[in-house]
Amino acid sequence: MSAVSRRMFLRASTLAGGGALFSFGWIADALAVQADPGAPASAGFRPNGFVRIDADGAITIWSKNPDMGQGVKTALPMILADEMDADWARIKVIDAELDRAKFGGQGSGGSDSIRSEWDLYRNAGAAAREMLASAAAEQWGVPRDACRTEQSAVIHSGSNRRLSYGQLAASAATRAVPDKPAWKQVSAFTLMGTRVGGVDNDAIVSGRPLYGIDTRLGGMRFAAISKCPVFGGRPARVDERAARQVPGVLDVVRIDGHANPTFLQPGVAVVAESTWAAFKGRDALELEWDEGPYRDESSASLSRQFTELAAGDGTSVRQVGDVARALDGAARVVEAYYEAPFLAHATLEPVNCTADVRDGHCYITGPLQMQTSGAGVVAAVTGLPVDRVHVQMTRLGGGFGRRLLSDYAAEAAVVSQRIKAPVQVVGTREDDLRHDYYRPAGARQFRIGLDAGGRIVAWDCHLVNLSRNAYRRGATPAWSTETYGMVAGVSDDLEPDLDLDLVPWHIPNVRLRFSEPRSGVSTGAWRAPAHVANGFAIETLLDEVAQLAGRSPVDLRLGLYGAARDLRIPGDEPSPYNPDRMAAVLRLAADRGGFGEHPPEGRVRGLAAHYTFGSYCAQVVELSLEGGNGAGPAARRTVRLHKVTCALDCGIVVNRSGVEAQAQGGIIDGLGHAFYGEITIDKGRAVEGNFDRYRLIRHREAPAAIEVHIVPSTMRPTGFGEIAVPVIAPAVANAIAAATGQRLRRTPFSREGFVLG
Amino acid sequence: MATISLTVNGRSISLGADPEMPLLWALRDSLGLVGTKFGCGGGFCGACTVHVDGAATRSCTLPLSRAAGHAIVTIEGLANAPAVGRREPGVENALHPVQRAWVDLDVPQCGYCQAGQIMTAAALLARTPNPSDEQIASAMQGNLCRCGTYMRIREAVKRAAAQTNSGGAR
Repeated sequence: MSAVSRRMFLRASTLAGGGALFSFGWIADALAVQADPGAPASAGFRPNGFVRIDADGAITIWSKNPDMGQGVKTALPMILADEMDADWARIKVIDAELDRAKFGGQGSGGSDSIRSEWDLYRNAGAAAREMLASAAAEQWGVPRDACRTEQSAVIHSGSNRRLSYGQLAASAATRAVPDKPAWKQVSAFTLMGTRVGGVDNDAIVSGRPLYGIDTRLGGMRFAAISKCPVFGGRPARVDERAARQVPGVLDVVRIDGHANPTFLQPGVAVVAESTWAAFKGRDALELEWDEGPYRDESSASLSRQFTELAAGDGTSVRQVGDVARALDGAARVVEAYYEAPFLAHATLEPVNCTADVRDGHCYITGPLQMQTSGAGVVAAVTGLPVDRVHVQMTRLGGGFGRRLLSDYAAEAAVVSQRIKAPVQVVGTREDDLRHDYYRPAGARQFRIGLDAGGRIVAWDCHLVNLSRNAYRRGATPAWSTETYGMVAGVSDDLEPDLDLDLVPWHIPNVRLRFSEPRSGVSTGAWRAPAHVANGFAIETLLDEVAQLAGRSPVDLRLGLYGAARDLRIPGDEPSPYNPDRMAAVLRLAADRGGFGEHPPEGRVRGLAAHYTFGSYCAQVVELSLEGGNGAGPAARRTVRLHKVTCALDCGIVVNRSGVEAQAQGGIIDGLGHAFYGEITIDKGRAVEGNFDRYRLIRHREAPAAIEVHIVPSTMRPTGFGEIAVPVIAPAVANAIAAATGQRLRRTPFSREGFVLG
Repeated sequence: MATISLTVNGRSISLGADPEMPLLWALRDSLGLVGTKFGCGGGFCGACTVHVDGAATRSCTLPLSRAAGHAIVTIEGLANAPAVGRREPGVENALHPVQRAWVDLDVPQCGYCQAGQIMTAAALLARTPNPSDEQIASAMQGNLCRCGTYMRIREAVKRAAAQTNSGGAR
């Protein structure tokens, strides 16, 4: 199997885009910004690209990857500050500019920032601490070992003499950067594991400029872009006269698009003095479209394709044992067909970016999730060399995978290049929802064989799914991005499968097949990509099997996980998969959530668990149902969520407040999209254009309580920005099945008659 | 184009603009007050919430012609809004009790919706100093948070209410 991992893809994509590796050794990067002997003293001590200590004790830390709400702008500096024994109260954090020499590859995706930058930030902090401590020891004429560090100071233990980091900055700057600075023991962490508020919180609550859309440059124009409402179409005839008559409109720019539709889509941009004038001018364009080959596509036609393809053979992705024979010999076969719709990202900050192309350079300021590959995209559409594309990241008003692509940066760049002025391209909510790169829709056909003892002996899955990898013209097979979280079965060549985030369960006969429907709809990564739809199907199916076999859902899962052992994950060697950690979160959630005990009168409980991007999560929900008597609207049932209990293992906790926030937010995100999320397709276009039709979860619908239990760990930290999302929908569906006997096999649940109350 | 007179954060302002233009764009593009956010343009998400004569109002659907002559407070002016009057004497850039609670409980994730959430919560507490859970849910229902910070928002509104009721000390 020529499997290329998600993580390897990140590398490969950044290579293709910008010629920079995503993964890199720390030392070359940290050494790249040596203290410059010619620099003025006011420049402070900057032992590497990530931290600077000023003579007055102020410490600046550069956060290399963008913060879209997952908290890395606080957590990455916490790693460095703790390792350095810096006083957190004196720390200022800066969003790093794109700079390969200082920071290596830059971007946030796959819940990867903490785990991929862990060594880098610890080494950067440890190196600074060692240089400061050695400088103090030399000044005092005492051995280094006789000195300790705490709260931005070096202390000589024997004499209690003390020098602050600010006092030591100048002499520390003259010392050699240590090759292998020693790390603190986990037990010596003082900052990590505590709850630290976000470093941007004051600015956020005060309304200070932070986000890409807040960028204001001198002489800046605003632009809005009209694109063909049918996916895959393009402008055929453009009459721009009326648009040019709109007060404030300055120019109209035609955009050809790029061969790779994730780089740049064709359209017509209206440039104006204000955002409002750009919107009005755009609305005044008279356009005829070449709607392309997908003008008749609809959600119904896609569903028909799914069922037809599911009945066929598909492409074999994985086979263990002999599924056909095992199914023939099974005492019982459970068949189930699941369907999942397109989902929009709906970042609350609409897509936007600011670009200034001048003097043969392009300056991008905006909410990019992937600065390194984004620079490559901008280079590709402008024809500029990538080293002349400069990216200043901003805070992102949500990402959820939408901003892994950099099409909006490309739009701003080509418009600026044409009008020879700085420009901010802003999408309306309608642009955002109707021209998103959606969570790919698809279906899953399962046949599960049980023996007479209720054990699973055959697991057959045919995945029929649009492929975001095919859409982005990826080199690997179409299925490679769509099988995350699927069941692999256990065999000798387990590791390559795990790298695709397949789950190594103890089932003797497993078959996974894939079919790709034809569609024009643009697709991309959506928070916990593929895991959400696959996890929902698998975890609800397990619950159903347990019920049919008369077994405990906990025991059934524990049997499938198997014995404790470390399984290597290529591309993520420091964080092997261990079924024991999966079992531990399952037991913890079941125990704390009271699963298996009698719930209060009128309530039911449901359980689910999943492994996503290195972290382990299990949840128990407690809910009750109201309504459901009679026909028509009265048949709608209101689900009241009394409590969600979430057990999580993400290794070492860096910022406890951040991890808890991601668990709470991930659960609420997962709930909202499970109950309401759906982009429907009609006449080749997306129907929902705003939040009146694309319904998001609101205050009143959030659970009454969410309890988060984090497994104490000294393991390397793993991602937690996505893990909570795939678990909640199956836990809710399993509870609904316990109450009603009805098995939900597709989202949104609102289409099946269930709403949140 | 018309000349529109507004009072924004206590300052009288006069600008030449399309009277149909929503207040949101006058704030963001003409006055440089970018704390008020564009989320949907249809009044569905609440990211653009400001106070108009003390009432939480969606600035993305309020034409300038109808904002003219009214007292507008944005997130940038909330802490110093005269209606609040809880600023400690001599303290610059003090936070409104709602803003303070948001920081204390580490509410923001991406943070983009939070200015609107805070403006709605502040208007609620000005009217209803000690809201019930139901009153909080009802007042906040129009403000979407895509990151799902609702649990902490709920707690933060209660904390701000408690602190406001105990004399505004913080």
